[in-house]
Amino acid sequence: MQQPPVIDPGLQQTLASGGSTPPVFLRGAAWLGSLKLTLALLVLLVPAIVLAYNSEAWRSWPLAVPLTGLAFNLLAALTSNPAFRRQTALIVFHLALVALLLLIAAGRMSYLKGTLELTEGAWFEGGALTSTDTARWHAGDLDQVRFTNLGFTIDYAPGIRRDATRNRVGWIDERGRMRESTIGDQHPLVVEGYRFYTSFNKGFAPTFTFTPTGGKAVLGAVHLPSYPIHEYEQTREWSLPGTRRMLWILLDFDETILDPAQPSAFRMPSDYRVIVRDGAERWELRPGAAIDLPEGRLELVGLRSWMGYNVFYDWTLPWLAATAALAVLSLGWHFAGKFRRKAWDA
Amino acid sequence: MERELQVLWAAIVAYVLGGVLAIFGVALGRRQGRVVLGLLLAGLLLHTASLALRWQRLDHGPFITLFEILSSNVWSLMLVFLIAYWRIPKIRPSAAVVMPVMFVLMGWLMLAHPGEGHFPPTYRTPWLFIHIGMAKVFLGATLVALGIAGVVLLRRYGIAEGRFAALPDDRRLDELAYRFMALALIFDTLMLITGAIWAQDAWGRYWAWDPLETWSFVTWLLLAFAIHLRVTYRPLPVRNAWMIVAVFVLAFLTFFGVPFVSESPHKGAV
Repeated sequence: MQQPPVIDPGLQQTLASGGSTPPVFLRGAAWLGSLKLTLALLVLLVPAIVLAYNSEAWRSWPLAVPLTGLAFNLLAALTSNPAFRRQTALIVFHLALVALLLLIAAGRMSYLKGTLELTEGAWFEGGALTSTDTARWHAGDLDQVRFTNLGFTIDYAPGIRRDATRNRVGWIDERGRMRESTIGDQHPLVVEGYRFYTSFNKGFAPTFTFTPTGGKAVLGAVHLPSYPIHEYEQTREWSLPGTRRMLWILLDFDETILDPAQPSAFRMPSDYRVIVRDGAERWELRPGAAIDLPEGRLELVGLRSWMGYNVFYDWTLPWLAATAALAVLSLGWHFAGKFRRKAWDA
Repeated sequence: MERELQVLWAAIVAYVLGGVLAIFGVALGRRQGRVVLGLLLAGLLLHTASLALRWQRLDHGPFITLFEILSSNVWSLMLVFLIAYWRIPKIRPSAAVVMPVMFVLMGWLMLAHPGEGHFPPTYRTPWLFIHIGMAKVFLGATLVALGIAGVVLLRRYGIAEGRFAALPDDRRLDELAYRFMALALIFDTLMLITGAIWAQDAWGRYWAWDPLETWSFVTWLLLAFAIHLRVTYRPLPVRNAWMIVAVFVLAFLTFFGVPFVSESPHKGAV
């Protein structure tokens, strides 16, 4: 969309004053700002995209090289191409593209992606995530974020196809006040710039109190594998809090939670048992039942749900949206001005 | 469902009649613009009624199954082409190029199963309409450009040369096709931006190099390349026409081919 390079008046003056060839820097700028180079760099971008598509490891330098080249190509065109300089909207569009690239690069250097699981009624605090991918210059305050999962409902269409997710959450805002809202599907919880999205990952959590011999009782929840994806694998090994003892936990119920034949909703089973195994020993617990272990007493409190969240942080998001809007508006402005001069049916 | 399919069949019959008449009009050198316009408009109105009946019955738009996506794309492509056909009478013979492409889509639509699909919760957002709307205008503008480019190519290679003699010269057609390509670039850009906003909300990321995103980006690049190429080398109209064909083929594959090999949640046409 840039106009072909036209010799700059400065360059013309140089030629007129007797110079047989223009200064090196002007020739360099003309070459660097040429549309032929733009085309070559656009072609170079294609293999970079193929690499980026095929491997996550190839998503930085192979893309950065042609994109940086295009940015310099644009800046050089601004200095060496007066026809281009006269087209304000076109300049704004191209500069917005460069700004987008810079913002994406800044985002890539400071993002955070992660996951966490939260039992109903439990709080997320201290910034501990189940899995995390943090960029080198991430400078957010995840450890300042506090929110609690107040429970959720998920509708299912016939065929056990997941429908709307509504997750009540409470969080502490910047003034220290408790706030509540419903998140789910395309409505994340946004606190301190961190975006918490509900995920398909959720399930049942048998909840116990463990009272160590001579110690204080602690509450613990065992997050069983995601339901209904792992409907027939509702079992997990669990380390008894503060000990090395590994217990095997199984949730057993007969009723149908999600009916494939009709609309249904995720809910707790009304009648269930929790099987606890320790080596050769085996117990069947109902809520309120307890067992005595060498390290202390374990009591089944009940069954709760847990929700898996995806966490995403990228401070550039609003700037990206604004810059993208500017880019497309200026592109429209450029073409509108260009095509207004002559009727489409002329 | 019977009624909406009957109305759809009636729409297809009207489209096909209009298209066949347009092709024969070019072949026989007869001007039948108004009749063709009337038939295509009748087809579009019937098609709108069919889509509305289905929308009312399922309580969601035609965005889920292959049948729905083909149907809504036939509708949007016909709408964009019809507007161009109505507002720019000089390019009406390009219907002889455009309608065979539409016949392929219509044939595919007739073969697709009209069953229902599950409307996912991530589709309950205004971004669905905005993103898909932009995509449809983009493809529609590319289709009109393809029709014009097809005329240039047919004339260049001596196929039905005399039949298109009444059209403006190649330079003027090339300039008009360029306008539609520019329009396509604007709406392709909007499609990418609104898709990224939606993806951020629905999946917690604005870009993930999934197959549809990647192919869409490559299509945008090829479109940008075609426009830069035109400005840089000022090629002959026939070369620009080939570039338009390439952009349309890539866009078509992105819309109707990539979703069949994609395993990502970003399904598009499947």
